[in-house]
Amino acid sequence: MKPFTRLNRFFSRFPLHLAVILMCVLWLIPTLGLFVTSFRTREAVRTTGWWHAFLPQAQTVGQPEYTKYCAACHGADGKKITAADLSSPTLVNQYPSAASLLLMLRKPVNNAPHLLNTPLPSAPTDALNALTPIITYMQTLSGQGGNTGKLSLSNYVDAIVGYKGLQDYLSDCQTGAAAKTGVFNCTAGDLANPAGMGIAMLNTLAVTIPTTLLVIVFAALAAYAFAWLDFKGRQWLFALLIGLQIVPLQMSLVPIAQLYTRLHIQSTFLGIWLFHAGFGLPYAIYLLRNFIGSLPREIFESAYLDGANHWAAFRRLALPLSMPAIASLGIFQFIWVWNDFLVAKIFLSTHPVLTVQITNLIDPRGQNWHILTGAAFLSFLIPMIIFFVFQRSFVHGLLAGSVKG
Amino acid sequence: MIPRIMKQGRWAPWFYLLPALILMTVFILYPTIGTIRLSLLDSTSRHSAASTCSAGQPCWGVFENYRYALTNPAMLLALRNNALWLLLMVPGTIAGGLFFAILADRVRYESAAKAIIFLPTAISFIGAGIIWRFVYDVESGGGPQIGLLNAILVGLGGHPVTWLSNPAINNFSLMLVGVWLWGGFCMTILSAAIKGVNAEILEAARVDGANEWQVFWNIMYPTILPTIIVVTTTMAIIILKIFDVVFVMTNGNFGTEVIANRMFALIVTNAGQSTAIAVILIALTIPIMIFNIRRFRKEEAAR
Amino acid sequence: MNTRSMRIFAVLVAVSMLFAACTTPTATATQAPVVVPTATTAPVVPTATTAPVATTAPVATATTAPAAAAIDCKGAASGDAITLVYQWTGAEEQSFNTVLKPFEDACGIKVNGQSTRDAAVLDTMVKSTPPDVLFWPDFSPLKLYADKLQPLDSVGADKSNYAPYWITMGTVGGKWLAIPAKADPKSLIWYSPTQFAALGYTVPTTFADLQTLVDKMVADGHVPWSMGFNNGGAADGWTGSDFIQDMLLASQGPDFVNGIIAGTTPYNDPAVAAAYQIYQKWASDPKYTVGGANGTVNTKFLDALYKGFANPPEALMVKQSGFAGGEIVKQFPNLKYGTDYDFFQFPGVKGLQGGADFMMAFSNKPAAMALVAYVTSATGGQNWAKASFGLSPNMSSKGNYTDPQTIKIADMLANTTGFTFDMGDALGAPFNDAEWKGIVSIVQGADITSTLAGVATAQKGSIK
Repeated sequence: MKPFTRLNRFFSRFPLHLAVILMCVLWLIPTLGLFVTSFRTREAVRTTGWWHAFLPQAQTVGQPEYTKYCAACHGADGKKITAADLSSPTLVNQYPSAASLLLMLRKPVNNAPHLLNTPLPSAPTDALNALTPIITYMQTLSGQGGNTGKLSLSNYVDAIVGYKGLQDYLSDCQTGAAAKTGVFNCTAGDLANPAGMGIAMLNTLAVTIPTTLLVIVFAALAAYAFAWLDFKGRQWLFALLIGLQIVPLQMSLVPIAQLYTRLHIQSTFLGIWLFHAGFGLPYAIYLLRNFIGSLPREIFESAYLDGANHWAAFRRLALPLSMPAIASLGIFQFIWVWNDFLVAKIFLSTHPVLTVQITNLIDPRGQNWHILTGAAFLSFLIPMIIFFVFQRSFVHGLLAGSVKG
Repeated sequence: MIPRIMKQGRWAPWFYLLPALILMTVFILYPTIGTIRLSLLDSTSRHSAASTCSAGQPCWGVFENYRYALTNPAMLLALRNNALWLLLMVPGTIAGGLFFAILADRVRYESAAKAIIFLPTAISFIGAGIIWRFVYDVESGGGPQIGLLNAILVGLGGHPVTWLSNPAINNFSLMLVGVWLWGGFCMTILSAAIKGVNAEILEAARVDGANEWQVFWNIMYPTILPTIIVVTTTMAIIILKIFDVVFVMTNGNFGTEVIANRMFALIVTNAGQSTAIAVILIALTIPIMIFNIRRFRKEEAAR
Repeated sequence: MNTRSMRIFAVLVAVSMLFAACTTPTATATQAPVVVPTATTAPVVPTATTAPVATTAPVATATTAPAAAAIDCKGAASGDAITLVYQWTGAEEQSFNTVLKPFEDACGIKVNGQSTRDAAVLDTMVKSTPPDVLFWPDFSPLKLYADKLQPLDSVGADKSNYAPYWITMGTVGGKWLAIPAKADPKSLIWYSPTQFAALGYTVPTTFADLQTLVDKMVADGHVPWSMGFNNGGAADGWTGSDFIQDMLLASQGPDFVNGIIAGTTPYNDPAVAAAYQIYQKWASDPKYTVGGANGTVNTKFLDALYKGFANPPEALMVKQSGFAGGEIVKQFPNLKYGTDYDFFQFPGVKGLQGGADFMMAFSNKPAAMALVAYVTSATGGQNWAKASFGLSPNMSSKGNYTDPQTIKIADMLANTTGFTFDMGDALGAPFNDAEWKGIVSIVQGADITSTLAGVATAQKGSIK
């Protein structure tokens, strides 16, 4: 194709591209907000919207007020009086609020009022209003201000190692606070912390993959029977599948937990595989039966004429031809189990999966929820990989010529 | 009339069905029988539900929990909201998903575009709660807005809106989250169906001068109709028991109550009422069942 | 699916099956090599509650520990395991483990704790495999599982370390089933002493003083309160219900509040309505609280706290429990307790209001008895205080707290004449739900009389 034709083609398809890209952008923005937030500090998240991470930081808040009241004595950079160096973080941190600054300023310096030349407004409220921006400016002078734009990986690091301390893992490692917990020693060994995400990730895979496989195999078998074999009560059983889909799994928790306790499979992988499979099957069979059922009758007939039995027809025809449906089923089954919290919490309490581990990271009042932002991203990496792997099966023309129009 | 091709021996079908039937019986059917039994008992599951009736008040006897489930104001609100969710969200997600699947089918960056729409599906509901907090957050004091929508509104000179606590709009705010979460599901399944449409027939129609609208309604739509019905059924069921979104964002406050949230709120403290709600939820699928059986018969007759 | 993705999938399946097989409790020996190659440290294997014995770590050292003499192991064998359920997670769970460390060392008992805040999860456990010991922050297990709980005297709890009202609180039908292990007084108002000094305000000592102070602040153009109902997404109004209860404790006293809990005083009593009258003004007028009604309903309760101590502060006072101090300093590390932030008791309250985590025992096996005995013992109380894990109602904790803020609250707790539990938590459903929703709607402008009548109906439902 010549370049000109290609360009022409692009413009004629412009509305199509616009629509697709617009929808993608709209869909992406909420997640993008979380993604940006996951790199921001807690204070930045609390005070400004996530898009501020992309905006230039104002360094001049409070400069006029500072110039008016302080610059004459302390200098524009705050360093003029060595005994009261306003660019020293130690000094500035002693006055975290306008009120503390006001109380200090009310005390005389060398028997003279502190602000000799330009007195503050006499009403305390007005004085506080004047001092508030000065605090901000002093923080900028001392190199502590404007950190709302600072990005870091600490939310991810904390989530991966399962750190629950006061500040973040890396800075607590530097100060030695992390070692005091008795759990962390700031080496690579911390990655294997049972409260971290490493082990939880393995646990989740060990729950998710066999469950997905069980559901696909059992559902494909049953769906084939519903579609191409005759037995009594087919229609009623099929209707039942719909009813079974709506039964809330919360209703099964107590009876199944009691059953598992009697069978001694409480808190085992076997137990949770079976539970998830049981609840995944109605939808899976329903979906696959509709797909397998819509395959053309002729291909089965000719297979039987060639002497194939129904098992061979299932394996060589039904299964491979329904791969697009099996792939989409596989993706969703995987993701539903991957994101499950309640079932894992109850039936696999000794081997925490990702969702359970993540909630364990959070303090009851949720003040350290910012760790969740990193953890949420880590936890959906694998489902996205699965999506790309399975999506390759949706190949155009797989059924070309075989589906009746 | 069952096609002859399906006659494959008496026991063979059960060999295919057995593993699935056993699992579904143990994990869903058997507990459901217990659920029905509990729904006729009081909050402690020891006495008949009739014992909770008080004199001078309406009483449905052993079905007293069902009286709660069908007449209590909180439940009426939940039923109304679920109907609203069904009416708006099922067509919304399916039309949107289908539209996107068809468009994406024609661009070269299809798999990236589909991955973006699919992305929310992969996010756990805890993650989704946080994500939408940054969209709907409202600052009523003097501080800056950290919620995206209100930042835009205020930036344009408007007033911040309480998206989640204003009963006039909060149900729609929640449904938007629902569409965002479930749109990818519909899109993925429908996209798989579109891939099954014979590309040669589509091309042939276009060569014959059919426009895209006609190509869709005359060729694509009939082929993917079974899948559309499957997705509609599945979405209807998912919406009937919608819970996560509401639980995380408002916990049913400010008039956003839904059936499943009510059920879960009562599950420990009043097993009788909770299970009665569950049974009603199951009963609500009966129309969907009838519809599907009819289609099942028609489809088999046609082949 | 093509062959390559099929192959990847097959490998994944094989690995996950192997992993699952290896982490089942019966196969402990083979675990370490499979899991992570880095592990030169302690065993990295998730703990297994059902493991019969098989702890690889040597526990023999325990008997030589000096503290062993003070801890009664109730005849539990070294290597015994017990299961606990509690709501603490994150840093709180770590502090709790610090409290238990001397006990585990002394008796060689392996404690397997599990954290959940979900009543449905607890319910399922109790009905299938109950934990040996439960710590829960409300009374609901006492109502729901009374027949499954062990009377605490029979499992070695020491009554003498607790003020009588703690015992009464956990006694149901003459059986002593629960003892608070950790208490958190709620009748506190947090403020900035420097801010008060700069503006010339003084700490009020009576409820009337507080009302005067609030009106004076408003007249001076300051916003007195910062309030927030939002509980991480869903507004449930518990901070409002705490506020109302403190007002009732000040205007009426603990007997009145206990009357509501017992059902002898209806929730729509005129005294309650009077409290709501004041509260409605304070919580919904933007002159009195940050952002008015919308601010109260939509602000997250921790954000509401931060607003009182930010630069500039958006409000001058925040009513919040004892935990608030820790949250303030986590958010603003430069603030110093005593000058930049401090608290005073809700003016005029007769008896404190607060929450507590109750300890309950489902099992009377020796290891479980040893734990109950340890927590209620003098040693247990001391260790609790040393771990800086909130407050222990255990009297022996006194004098062992290390930080000045906790000491001040501990003294308040030690000197109080009574301790009223949060009404909503004490009465449970459907009252708590109705109360919270009622408060939210009153703040949004609903009529007080009719709303309270509805809550009173739910109150009857809870007592029945």
